[in-house]
Amino acid sequence: MATYKPQYYPGSTKIAKNRKKYMDPSYKLKKLRTISDDDLVKLMGHRVPGEAYKSVHPPLEEMGEPACPIRELVEPTPGAKAGDRIRYIQFTDSVYFTPLTPYMRAWMGHNRYRGVDIGVLSGRVPLEARERDLEKVAKDLVETEIFDPARCGIRGATVHGHALRLDENGMMFDALRRFVFDKKTGEVVYVKDQIGVPLDKPISVGKPLKEEELREMTSEYRVDGVPFREDKEMIEFIQRLHMLRTEAGFDPNKVKGI
Amino acid sequence: MATEKKMFLEALRKKFKESPEEKYTQFYIYGGWKQSKRKQEFVEWGTKLAKERGIPFYNPDMHLGGIPLGQRVLMPYRLSQTDIYCEGDDLHFINNAAMQQMWHDIRRTVIVGLDAAHMVIQKRLGKEVTPETVNHYLEVLNHALPGAAVVQEHMVETHPGLVADSYVKVFTGDDELADEIDKRFLININKEFPADQAAQLKAAVGKKIYQVLRMPTIVAMTCDGGTMSRWSAMQISMAMVNAYKLMAGEAAIGEFAFAAKHAEVIEMGTLMPWRRARGPNEPGGVPLGYIADMCQASRVKPEDPTWVALEAISMGAVLYDQFWFGSYMSGGVGFTQYATCTYTDNVLDDYCYYGADYVKKKYGGFGKAKPSWDLIKDVATEVTLYGLEQYERYPALMETHFGGSQRAAVVAAGAGVAVSLATGNCTAGINGWYLSQLLHKEEMGRLGFYGYDQQDQCGSANSFSYRSDEGLPFNLRGVNYPNYALNVGHQSAYTGIVQAAHSGRSDAWTTNPLIKIAFADKDLKFDFTHPRLCFGKGALREFMPAGERSLIIPSR
Repeated sequence: MATYKPQYYPGSTKIAKNRKKYMDPSYKLKKLRTISDDDLVKLMGHRVPGEAYKSVHPPLEEMGEPACPIRELVEPTPGAKAGDRIRYIQFTDSVYFTPLTPYMRAWMGHNRYRGVDIGVLSGRVPLEARERDLEKVAKDLVETEIFDPARCGIRGATVHGHALRLDENGMMFDALRRFVFDKKTGEVVYVKDQIGVPLDKPISVGKPLKEEELREMTSEYRVDGVPFREDKEMIEFIQRLHMLRTEAGFDPNKVKGI
Repeated sequence: MATEKKMFLEALRKKFKESPEEKYTQFYIYGGWKQSKRKQEFVEWGTKLAKERGIPFYNPDMHLGGIPLGQRVLMPYRLSQTDIYCEGDDLHFINNAAMQQMWHDIRRTVIVGLDAAHMVIQKRLGKEVTPETVNHYLEVLNHALPGAAVVQEHMVETHPGLVADSYVKVFTGDDELADEIDKRFLININKEFPADQAAQLKAAVGKKIYQVLRMPTIVAMTCDGGTMSRWSAMQISMAMVNAYKLMAGEAAIGEFAFAAKHAEVIEMGTLMPWRRARGPNEPGGVPLGYIADMCQASRVKPEDPTWVALEAISMGAVLYDQFWFGSYMSGGVGFTQYATCTYTDNVLDDYCYYGADYVKKKYGGFGKAKPSWDLIKDVATEVTLYGLEQYERYPALMETHFGGSQRAAVVAAGAGVAVSLATGNCTAGINGWYLSQLLHKEEMGRLGFYGYDQQDQCGSANSFSYRSDEGLPFNLRGVNYPNYALNVGHQSAYTGIVQAAHSGRSDAWTTNPLIKIAFADKDLKFDFTHPRLCFGKGALREFMPAGERSLIIPSR
């Protein structure tokens, strides 16, 4: 029997290749910046750095769980073992050449991390997990190549901005102005946490990526970048998917050639 | 389509000071809500009324803990294919009397056949029915229907000044009979419709005669949709007693009531399931094909089926998205932003005309090609890619439709309408919509919000399905269809997909000829021939609705 090799995503263009790359958990995301653990905790705003994790149930070891084959198969995450609360980090990704689109962010997360619950909307992607697990995942999400300080926003609410034009510094709109561009350092600085509560001290998330770098890294098709029209494999794949679904819905016997 | 011909550019230039192609702008400098005249008015009233009532009221400082609305440009909106610009607030149905009246005019209408009643009078009671007796009956009913007594003594009645919009008219497919009906009571098919449409409609109606009954708007405002057929049935029965000198309460009267309440009545909306708990004549029960037929654009500009579909879309947007999903189903202030994108700024118009031109050039006109996979793939893909490329070429357009659900609705509507126009088959059209949604999702890597695009990700499979829980010809679907029950931002376009298939092949109606004729009535308050213009008049506060109570309240 042939060994199954996941393809992750169809398409023949640079954009499709980037999508495959981000979704493939064997690809190691490039680290571009360092955010301290404490700063990340402050940005998310769920607990004060150093504060113990709040729990919603006793540690699993103390709970005397019922006999269950699924429980035997699935190793609980550290946060689940400890009984942590489920908390969130949420991102808004601009339409202007950000590394990840919302669906890519979700599918990448599902392929790479355990114990995460990810939603997808056009203007935001919430990721929920047990609190200590979340902090580990968030580290990847903010420190690596899938985050651009100017065009990705960490926003719990009032996420409006993904489709708006960019400001004079190339920053995505944020009605709450959680992040600002520091002209002296050329870095993006958060002055409020993700839900909009002012921070005691600003937290830098580094310099925005250059436009040409973003165009190389992006998973967004755009007519002023790599147009979707050029990815014929991708278009034909979707058309075939649609035809098969349609025919199966009408009469499953009509579906041939899968 | 060349850049200078793009229909949305003029509106974009009014909405933003920068060129529509410009990718950069400035934020946080517009003065918040003060940039909007309408918000200024709200603040003025909110402040005054808070003092009067002694309870805190509208206060924009409550927004985001003191960060007011308007950190970006609060852009105006153009009612598509009109010269009317307004603020977004003016398109909320609470702030727009024309939108309210459109819904009230639909809700307060029932159609009741007269043939069963005439048969009872002639065969069971042995009395004569002639055009003269019919005219007399209609005069009696025009007295009774608004709320007046016709049989009993010492009755209370309604003030005519409050119910002046209530009346009954009739129509028939029989020209000879129509000639005998008093013109004040007749919806004249020959006069209201182009000749080819009139011929189709008369053939469908035949020699039957139908009453179109409009209950008072004030009743539509204070009671539910289920009231309407009861209100009309009671007044019909009483008018029959009076006009034909019948005994009040004799067994045959029950037949009139049965005919008026059940056998011969056509409600504008069907009963809803208990989990949504609505009676008939509520927005959730109005099928897509009915709202398309209520729209009368097809009889005033039949040579432009794309425009006809766009006018129908605007009605679907207001009824389904703003009233039904935005209020009945969701609660809160509603989904105005989801809905307005389909009838403002000429964006969907541009996409639909692009699709129409493509179809004309490639398939030789409208309704000329049979539905096929090749056609659906070709047309839906082309219009989808065109629509998405416009958002990417014109950042101001992307900012105008700042939510993914708006873009998804508009792009897929263009695709679906184009497939409908090409094939004259709205089931093919809706299949084109679903292909568009899948293409959009992968192209942008984003679509709407969870509740928006869940239906679109499984919609391919039910577009041709006739299985029990899903099976319904597309014309008869609506928000009552299981998969569309949470389908905000879709039904407007679905209305247009139905309409485009039929107007593309010059049909006089889409689903029900009786509905089409019933709304060909100049005495309705809302102008069903030009709904977008009418909504615009509502936005400008130039529309005079019915249902006013000034006669029975203190003067200001």
